[in-house]
Amino acid sequence: MNDNDLALRNLTYARFVELGRAPTADEVAVVGGCDRTEVMAGWERLHAEHALVLGQAGSIRMANPFSGVPTAYRVQAGGRWWYGNCAWDAFGICAALHQDGRIEASCPDCGQSMQIAVRGQRPDDASLLFHCLVPAARWWDDIVFT
Amino acid sequence: MNLFRSGEHIQRWLAGRDPGATIAVEKLSELAHAWWEDRLSPGWRPHTRDGNQAILDRLGFAGDFWCLPGS
Repeated sequence: MNDNDLALRNLTYARFVELGRAPTADEVAVVGGCDRTEVMAGWERLHAEHALVLGQAGSIRMANPFSGVPTAYRVQAGGRWWYGNCAWDAFGICAALHQDGRIEASCPDCGQSMQIAVRGQRPDDASLLFHCLVPAARWWDDIVFT
Repeated sequence: MNLFRSGEHIQRWLAGRDPGATIAVEKLSELAHAWWEDRLSPGWRPHTRDGNQAILDRLGFAGDFWCLPGS
């Protein structure tokens, strides 16, 4: 990753946190002092390097651990609500923000709601289990499914 | 990568598929904090494959299942 792409990546993440949602290419271009085409080209390179994940039409699908689209994992942290891409990323949002938080999800089997408070990096309900279906070697084969 | 209420719920959800790996939610939180804590740092640099594998190894995520590609 070259310095320009690293700067674009950091700017994109910073804008994500400022806005509380995925920024558009136009929004990043304004603060980056460049044009939309340059942002899109940079995002494509970052996508290829797994530094973020683009969805259809070039919008940000994932800026891990943050999700650019609604998911089953809602996280309250730092005075805002966010979406995590998965259970791992839901805890990752608290980690990235260096904040305690609250995760709201539902059991994929029975649908019952689950609320987890995260304080000092620890969940308050130790009875829950995390299941990772896909082996690490294949996570990026289809990162949305993973 | 999902959270479940119990092992029984995981088994039912799998519906005959081969299981992956199941870990306690406290361990997941520990992993998430080690993995993502630098993500918004101004000095962030891309994690290397070996750096990420070292996080998994240090936290006890051992075996082929947790072996990242490119080893």
